[in-house]
Amino acid sequence: MKNRLKVLRAERDWSQAELADRLNVSRQTINAIETEKYDPSLPLAFQIAELFEKRIEEIFLPEKRK
Amino acid sequence: MNTIFQILSSKWMGIISASTWILTYFFARGILENDQLSEGLRLVVALIPIIPFALFLMSVLAGIRELDELQRRVHLEALAIAFPLTMLLLMLLGLVELVIPLSPDDWSYRHVWQFLPIFYFLGLAYTWRRYQ
Repeated sequence: MKNRLKVLRAERDWSQAELADRLNVSRQTINAIETEKYDPSLPLAFQIAELFEKRIEEIFLPEKRK
Repeated sequence: MNTIFQILSSKWMGIISASTWILTYFFARGILENDQLSEGLRLVVALIPIIPFALFLMSVLAGIRELDELQRRVHLEALAIAFPLTMLLLMLLGLVELVIPLSPDDWSYRHVWQFLPIFYFLGLAYTWRRYQ
């Protein structure tokens, strides 16, 4: 799944560690989500959306079906 | 209750309990090689490592509860690699033993458990790489 987490984080000038602290997860988890190697659970996706004051679908974009 | 949980989940508790478990294991093995002791006493000595192991297990469980969702997945995937590999080793050992008589000092079921943590750490290394 594609996401705009890196862009949103950069807009707020937060480091990965800072964002990880705010979401109470590890920095590796943030990195894995940003590099799209890991899709967060629904509760974490909601937490991210709440932190950035956006809707989930504004941050996470489904892969287009072939 | 919260304080006990914090103590158990601390890194130091894990290291101390694991070290004590390993030390008591080798201590018990050393004592059990002396067959002049009574059977009852030897049985008590054989059971000693259970206590630090129980502490180690509790600290591992408390530590897992502290992990985030990706870290839990990584550990689960590492176990999913290590467990079948250890079973494969056991199966191979059993089958090969039917063909060639293996020396119990070199190869026996007693040696297999040591491969479980080895496969687990290999699994961890492999799985972490996937998410980096």
